[in-house]
Amino acid sequence: MSTINFAAREINCKIVYYGPGMSGKTTNLKQVFAKVPGHLRGEMVSLATEDERTLFFDFLPLDLGSVQGFKTRFHLYTVPGQVFYNASRKLILRGVDGIVFVADSAPNRLRANAESMRNLRENLAEHGINVRDVPIVLQVNKRDLPDALPTSMIRAVIDPRNELQLFEAMSDKGVGVFETLKTVSRLVLERLSQTK
Amino acid sequence: MIEPSLALYGEAYARVDALIQELLDAAGVRYGLLVDRKGFVLSHKEALWAPRPPALDSVATLVASNAAATAALANMLGERTFSEQIHQGENGTLYVESVGTDALLTLIFDSSVPLGRVKVYSKKTVPQLAAILDELKDIPEIQLGGDFSAGATALLDDLLG
Repeated sequence: MSTINFAAREINCKIVYYGPGMSGKTTNLKQVFAKVPGHLRGEMVSLATEDERTLFFDFLPLDLGSVQGFKTRFHLYTVPGQVFYNASRKLILRGVDGIVFVADSAPNRLRANAESMRNLRENLAEHGINVRDVPIVLQVNKRDLPDALPTSMIRAVIDPRNELQLFEAMSDKGVGVFETLKTVSRLVLERLSQTK
Repeated sequence: MIEPSLALYGEAYARVDALIQELLDAAGVRYGLLVDRKGFVLSHKEALWAPRPPALDSVATLVASNAAATAALANMLGERTFSEQIHQGENGTLYVESVGTDALLTLIFDSSVPLGRVKVYSKKTVPQLAAILDELKDIPEIQLGGDFSAGATALLDDLLG
């Protein structure tokens, strides 16, 4: 649930980029960091190994501006995709308001995509939450791979009921990055303003 | 959602601010923050003489993540929690203490300030902060209307194209 600091008139929302290892989660954040003007974003914090694999998380704060007098902020996080870092992934999901699931288009990562989505469901369930209770957007990344699988095949293993909005992306070129972020942000804000 | 939101309202917010300020003055601390467990800054104060603080968003995120990792370690070792963390450097110290289940009191001070003194004062402040946060749990949630969503979406267009 978003943190609303009423006296300071701030609303803070947490968006987590989830997905298998090397699918492009950190690249998404780097693109956002590079393209959003400096006064609207904070420093990007990366807790990575020496070979630039995410160890704990990447973090990037974004300032949306003031809405009805509330300074509204998004905190973007990535999780480490590698299977053995599950304890870290679970911690980062704490307090999540929206999720971008970054899937890999490579044929040999199809199973990793499916396992990562199953892992997301399990980790959310451990926090006592149903996967349908959090806005999730699906980004199918690396569409420029010569042997990229059709999005329908990737969706079939991740989202067989066709429930998630899907964006095709080439995050290293910045394609599809902002569209994905904008959609998940909009879904989070809509949820925030829904009467409870 | 995963956990209840922690909202600081006018009068309670002022009391939290006042308590942190008192702690800063009494203990000689440079920066004092109240951070929620998700890594958001709920309140912060800095000593008049202190230089510009580092990016508080980043500090709060790292403190909360560190606390979460430490708590997971505690559980693995059969402890309910490790309630405090101390990181001492050559020039300064970072001291973090749990405030109930929802927040963390984070104090940053120079190495010339005795850790014992900071601990004594913070042990006195933490229960008072926890009591205020407990009161807030009974306050009804804020309702944001459709206008909020429309306004925010317009800003999203500006920010992300």
